[in-house]
Amino acid sequence: MTESMSRRTFVKGAGATAALAATGAVAAPVGSLMTERAHAAEAAPDVRTAPSLCNGCSSKCGLTATTVGGKLWTVEGLKGHPYSKGTVCGRAHGLAQMAYSDERVTQPLRRKDDGTFEPISWDDAFAEIGERVQSIIAKNGPESVALIHDPRPSGKYYGPRFMNALGSANVYTHGAACNSSKESGIVHTTGASNFSVDFANAKMVVFIGRSYGDAIRPSSVKSLADAADAAKRIVVVDPRLSNSGVFATDWVPIKPGTDLALLMGIAHVLIAEDLYDRTFVEEHTVGFEEFAQNIASCTPKWAEGVCEVPADTITELARALAKAAPAAAIEPSWRAAFGCSYANSFDTARGVTAVNALLGSWGQKGGALITSSPKPGSLDAQKFPSVPKPAKKRVGDAAFPLVPSGMGSNLAALQAALDGDMKAFFFYNSNAAQGYAQPKVWREGLDKAELVVTIDVQMSETAVLSDYVLPECTYLERMELPDFIGGKKHYVGMRTPALERVHPETRSCDEIFTGLARACGVGEYFDFTLEELASAQLESVGVTLEEVCEKGVVELADPHFTYGVPKFKTPSGKFEFKSDKAAEAGRSAVIGFAPRLVEAKEGELYLIGGKQGIHSHTMTMNIPALNAVSRDYDLERLWMAASDAAARGIADGDLVEVASSEHAGKVRVHVTQRVKPGVLFLPTHYGITSPYQTHARGLGINHMDFVPFRMEPGVGSAMSQEVAVTVKKVEA
Amino acid sequence: MTRYGMLINTKKCVGCFACRLACQMRNHLEPEETFIKFHTLEQGEYPSVYAEVVPTQCMHCVDAPCQSVCPTKATYTTDSGVVLVDESRCIGCKYCMAACPYGARVQIEATGVIEKCRFCWDGEDVGNPPSCVGTCISGARTFGDLDDPGSDISREIVSLNARPIAGNLTDSKIFYVR
Amino acid sequence: MVWGPLIAWYLFLAGASAGAFLTAAFVEKKYPDSVKMRVAGRLIAPIFLGIGLIMLMIDAEAGLHNPLRFFFLVMNPGSVMTLGVYFICVFMPVALAEAVLELMHRRVPSWLTWVGIVFAFAVAAYTGFLLGVVQTFPLWNNAILPILFVVSALSAGLAATSMVGLLVDRTRFEHMWLVKKTHVILSAIELVVLFTMLVIVSSGSLEGAASVASLVTGQYAPAFWGGLVLLGLVAPFMIEGYPVFITKKVETSMTSLVVSVIGEAGVLVGGFLLRLLVIMAALPVAFL
Repeated sequence: MTESMSRRTFVKGAGATAALAATGAVAAPVGSLMTERAHAAEAAPDVRTAPSLCNGCSSKCGLTATTVGGKLWTVEGLKGHPYSKGTVCGRAHGLAQMAYSDERVTQPLRRKDDGTFEPISWDDAFAEIGERVQSIIAKNGPESVALIHDPRPSGKYYGPRFMNALGSANVYTHGAACNSSKESGIVHTTGASNFSVDFANAKMVVFIGRSYGDAIRPSSVKSLADAADAAKRIVVVDPRLSNSGVFATDWVPIKPGTDLALLMGIAHVLIAEDLYDRTFVEEHTVGFEEFAQNIASCTPKWAEGVCEVPADTITELARALAKAAPAAAIEPSWRAAFGCSYANSFDTARGVTAVNALLGSWGQKGGALITSSPKPGSLDAQKFPSVPKPAKKRVGDAAFPLVPSGMGSNLAALQAALDGDMKAFFFYNSNAAQGYAQPKVWREGLDKAELVVTIDVQMSETAVLSDYVLPECTYLERMELPDFIGGKKHYVGMRTPALERVHPETRSCDEIFTGLARACGVGEYFDFTLEELASAQLESVGVTLEEVCEKGVVELADPHFTYGVPKFKTPSGKFEFKSDKAAEAGRSAVIGFAPRLVEAKEGELYLIGGKQGIHSHTMTMNIPALNAVSRDYDLERLWMAASDAAARGIADGDLVEVASSEHAGKVRVHVTQRVKPGVLFLPTHYGITSPYQTHARGLGINHMDFVPFRMEPGVGSAMSQEVAVTVKKVEA
Repeated sequence: MTRYGMLINTKKCVGCFACRLACQMRNHLEPEETFIKFHTLEQGEYPSVYAEVVPTQCMHCVDAPCQSVCPTKATYTTDSGVVLVDESRCIGCKYCMAACPYGARVQIEATGVIEKCRFCWDGEDVGNPPSCVGTCISGARTFGDLDDPGSDISREIVSLNARPIAGNLTDSKIFYVR
Repeated sequence: MVWGPLIAWYLFLAGASAGAFLTAAFVEKKYPDSVKMRVAGRLIAPIFLGIGLIMLMIDAEAGLHNPLRFFFLVMNPGSVMTLGVYFICVFMPVALAEAVLELMHRRVPSWLTWVGIVFAFAVAAYTGFLLGVVQTFPLWNNAILPILFVVSALSAGLAATSMVGLLVDRTRFEHMWLVKKTHVILSAIELVVLFTMLVIVSSGSLEGAASVASLVTGQYAPAFWGGLVLLGLVAPFMIEGYPVFITKKVETSMTSLVVSVIGEAGVLVGGFLLRLLVIMAALPVAFL
């Protein structure tokens, strides 16, 4: 793990770069001499480009990587990609450099008794893991083995296939610590897993907690910027004035975890003042009467008492939305305020869809759109045999019936480990132990497991807790399966290898899972190469591998999106104000108000978290270029309202101790007018503890350390913001 | 005559640092070396707050102070108005760093040369567009010819009433919308 | 901060070099018998400047890696730094020549000394103008700073030379009333000029006020009051001023020698601290 390749050595090493300048092919680096340029023209520069999909977040933006003499020089957004639209954010530039990190895992590692790691060969790693998996299955059944991943194109296919081949249905995404509750709420009202706002045609959009400017997808930021340019009304409901605030016409600070009261207050006004879309409600919904009854008492005045947004503001928002309807919508959000944050997050998500239903904006121009996604067609069953369905259901699905089927509750798997039932864990592209729930609980759970295997490019906190760490090559060093992208138009994109593998002993996701499968005795489901599978998938949608590899992204057949009320794929076929499934899971059948779980006691403050534009969870913290930004601008600091700070004698930059029932930690304070008094905002990337990440370690504190290990009823998500803390100045 | 300039619309800037990071890669800068700096400002009191991120870099001033103090004439201005550093002449005396009112000068650790934004100059001409403009996720940056009244930048300067960050300091070729 | 101790050393040593040269010229004219002090001044001048230039080159890293680039320094007559190079290009050879002549016990032609005097003043002034023309920093960009630096340069040069006089030729030195008086008066002038500058800078701009505040009450206050004002100006003023203006008698005691050495050393420390503090405390004009 010592090989280092800074860009400086690149500059020094590549005499060709001076030549590039002379040819005008690419810019001369700072550091090359003008005088050198004149006589270096004859050396032909080896400049190559390759398309890929960024790994900086789950958006997987299309980009072009340019190399000079085989070394990475730049990445640029791919114009044709629907998410990047020609530009990429800071994480893309930073993560691309991961290939040259001096703290990568460069060969398979096995943990020794003293907790340190020793390198082993792939053959040994596979053989030992295979043997232990088979013995665990023999003893405890395949339901004692789990995979937790934050899936990427190849991982989405290979990971679950490996688990299912073992006979286990225990495949979990990071969802329980991300957008599970939100997705579940949307599913149980509309039947769709998500929706989008038709920004180009909307007149008014309300954001609940989400900030496009902080958790970035370039296309989303562009659509928001365009909306602001067109002087549309953009309302941002958030305890904190986020970086999206520049586009907002209104900032509505709200008490954390009470967005549902605001939504119900708006719904109340829409119904009480007869401002809702009667035709839509009558023809396309079920349960409206009960819903109306349920929120009859949710007046703006009442809502003000709960969420601390003035009643007049609530009434005005409702009326303005009604006036703009159907070209108005509440934005669906992602993790933010109700992805996995509170005991009422599932209800809040349903509340969002309910307001959109009252506005009649479902499927309308400028409203809330449910679009389709492409899928590969059926493949040659000889070559790619289907894996039998595991006999037992996924662990946690019974306790949490509302959990999105594509996600599962990884916390339920953790609970099973704590209970001694889950014996083996595989983690892929996932730092669960640092971010999915309280790290000390993960440590305890993984301690009880008999086998923990982590596949990663660096030594994450999860990797540190593992028995085996299998090194993956970085995304620019590998090809992956096609990524199918839905929306008004359909696309397919792909990662192609832009770099030679910097460390020859690293492997790609498909190679690793294929190796694991063979070692575990289920290799018969993996007798094909990635290229063969990619080719087959692409051919099934009428595209060739060559075309995608060349262009990076290709538009597929037009799905012919049209405006109009969508087909709701719910049990009733209609929009459901009332859901039997929610009732069966122990949640309210009818949409209505539900409180957050934790209320701040005297002297306590609510702790909320969120992303910063340069980081992707904890994955990017150790990248020097991104870490330097955090350090240059003290981004790890805890945001505190100026009035709260004054009351505690705290000045900007002071070190404070933050304490919850679970944990105490020290961090510096950013005193600001941009956060609601009574609320603290902590960026959720910091507090790295892995001793193998020396650039990142020691900067800031980890939000999840403070949050008690609990799960949202019915959904099994992390309730990551159900926490109140005390703050006191650390006297120097 | 072509005269290059840039417009930065802070009303569109979300402070994502993509420009800094793209610039660092393109110009082979170390993580701590950056041509673009960010100033986060807050006006007003809760809840009536206006927050703003203002990225700054070399303003490519006419009669640049860094150029006039440079004892070795390493700093010079191209015919197209781009202020550049001829690294083969720079001794690293840092007089330009002191003279630049915008703190835009950066010492390159490996060479000791004092560099700065060069509009991604490639030996012949500016980058098309410079990497900060190319990567800007919200379209907060516009680059082009100030002498062409039909260019995007010329039209935006008029329509958005863009002005130098501090008109009294230097005659800058970066225009801000604030 | 853009610059640090290396440049403070350079500015101090260049100024003290000029001051030492001028002291030697003064001593030659007024006290032709004080050979040792004159020689001391003539040796200090090129040595200090030489060390200062080495500091400057160490600070100029890109030039250090490519020494030939230093020849480009003469290229921009519009830059104060280039002007300074011109001055040094004349002053340094003159100072060296005089030192060599002294060591060879040869007479120094007076025309050479006159050239040296002119360029010594030029060098001392240049060290002030180098900072003075930088509009970014109000603490530098004022008309008084160059005067302050010239006064301080003379004082430092005088102190360095006097120190040698004190230690190697005390009897003669104690009788050089004119030198001692000048020394006392320079300290007084410097003190007045310093506070005049601080008042003017402080009232001129917010950043100027903040810079002055950091010196007077802020993070640099201990060094400013203790090092620069007390040790560098007030103490020497008292130590020299008392025998010169009050008792008017020649000191011969060991105690007074020690006290005098402390006084001269104080001037030197103060001279360096002046430049260091001016460099470190300067805040740029806000542009946002």
